[in-house]
Amino acid sequence: MSVALKKKKKKEDISKKILSSFKKKGFNFIDLDMVIDTDLLTRRSGEAFKKYALNFKDNSGKEISLRPDLTIATAIQYIQNKRQVLNKISYYGSAFRLDKKGKLNVFDQIGCEIINSKSAPEQLVLTTILSSFRSIQKKEIIINDLNLFSVLVNLLNLPKRWKLRLIRHYSRKDYFNELLKRLETSYDLDQKKIKIDYNRLSELKRLNQKKIIGGRSVGEIVSRFEKKIKDPRDNFNGSQSVKIIQDFLKIRVPFKKLQISLNKFFIKHNLDKSKFNNNLKKLSFLNSSIQSNETIIFDTKFGRETQYYTGFAFSLIKKKKELARGGEYNNLIKTLGGKQTPAFGAAININNLI
Amino acid sequence: MSTIKIGLPSKGRLKEDCLKLFSKKKLNVKNSNSRNYFFQFENNKKYEGIFLHAREIIERLNDGTLDIGISGLDLLMELPEENRKNIKIMKELNFGFAELVVAVPNDWLDVQNIADLEEVSFEFREKNIRRMRVATKYPKLTEEFFLSRGITEFKIVDSLGATESYPFTGSAELITDITSTGTTLKENNLRIISDGKILQSSACFMISKKFKGKERDLFI
Repeated sequence: MSVALKKKKKKEDISKKILSSFKKKGFNFIDLDMVIDTDLLTRRSGEAFKKYALNFKDNSGKEISLRPDLTIATAIQYIQNKRQVLNKISYYGSAFRLDKKGKLNVFDQIGCEIINSKSAPEQLVLTTILSSFRSIQKKEIIINDLNLFSVLVNLLNLPKRWKLRLIRHYSRKDYFNELLKRLETSYDLDQKKIKIDYNRLSELKRLNQKKIIGGRSVGEIVSRFEKKIKDPRDNFNGSQSVKIIQDFLKIRVPFKKLQISLNKFFIKHNLDKSKFNNNLKKLSFLNSSIQSNETIIFDTKFGRETQYYTGFAFSLIKKKKELARGGEYNNLIKTLGGKQTPAFGAAININNLI
Repeated sequence: MSTIKIGLPSKGRLKEDCLKLFSKKKLNVKNSNSRNYFFQFENNKKYEGIFLHAREIIERLNDGTLDIGISGLDLLMELPEENRKNIKIMKELNFGFAELVVAVPNDWLDVQNIADLEEVSFEFREKNIRRMRVATKYPKLTEEFFLSRGITEFKIVDSLGATESYPFTGSAELITDITSTGTTLKENNLRIISDGKILQSSACFMISKKFKGKERDLFI
């Protein structure tokens, strides 16, 4: 038997074993669509995602993409089947993604997802995934709660629009760093233009506020202009907030030292620790469900590049290879056109496992 | 010895400026006002010329059917890497200046810069359950610029002309367009946002990378 065939057989055997263990935990296998409507992808993360997906036009001119991610494919299927009840799903298949240079990478994945669960689904997904790796020694588990960043930003002395901007672009690392540079210099408004525009403002106020100009109502334009003027511009210390954010993003510690590390951070920056309590409690609870002989690292930066993660996220690593990854994605189904639905899922990267 | 195949823009100010540039090198086009697309220089049989659309010149340089030519930097940069990989810019010339810019309706008082546009684009999507549309003849450059500035909530609408009208006909909310003085934008109630310059363009002397003749240094 050739090496490639042996590898294929091994992949199939392992996949069958893992899927069978998922089934025992109550996950039902589904087949996912290979092709996704590109418009749905861009609806989720804007045009940016097109750069990483392999896109085509069908005969009618409609843009379609090979599924870049199986979680997204699962969410789309959930919406299309109009399911409103709890779903425990497992799947197996390939995801197709382009790297920064445009080279196609194919990821073979086995995953499990819990959609619309009233109780916390993280523990079941986490333990299900970890049980597949029981025999693998010296692995490292990285965990984070991405919501901690939002809690932190909301505590900072910043205008609301800056808080929103930082949270929205947290997943886009390069642009986020540019934003921090801008925040340091408080670049935002052109004072000269504001003076000129005040004259036009009074004219606009006299118009019918429902009148549409370039797709936006006059009322909407006036209201945002006034809100922007009133939002504090000069009396906030952008550079201080940047320092706090940069310090926060440096936190990477063994989980057992997290409390000490965070306490130091809160004291140094005079932050209200109680605001983080709920998130930290949840992290401790999840930590207790992981076997004590595993190395667990808490890393504030982990998972931020996966745009749809909204809370707890984890990764399983062995010799710098990621074997599995998962996280909470409570907004994904809504942004794809469904209802606001809590969800949590994880996938095993079969290629790295073999 | 084989002749050098040269492509020049077929009409307008760009054509006139190109002819002036070549005449300074004592290369005067015979019958430049003729409707014949093919041309030759007076007293010089080394060149075989053709007047083409500026975009066509780039495509022909890339596939090697032209050796040298003049076209706009904006048109070159708009093409995917694959369609311009065989072209080398030898010199950015002193004419054909224009800027590719982001313009919004003049009455969008609250949108002064890209940061505002980014914020409005998110609000627009939430309110209208669709993305803001940007009409443009330059989809690639526009997309790259917007994404690099954190604006992801937009949809490109390809425009073939009269782009300035799109925000007022309901076909798009804003535009990106090429402008040299900004007059057309102003006359159509549009305003360039303060940091909305996507590209500074000019006419460029370009060669096909396959072409090794000394004429590649004609304007250096």
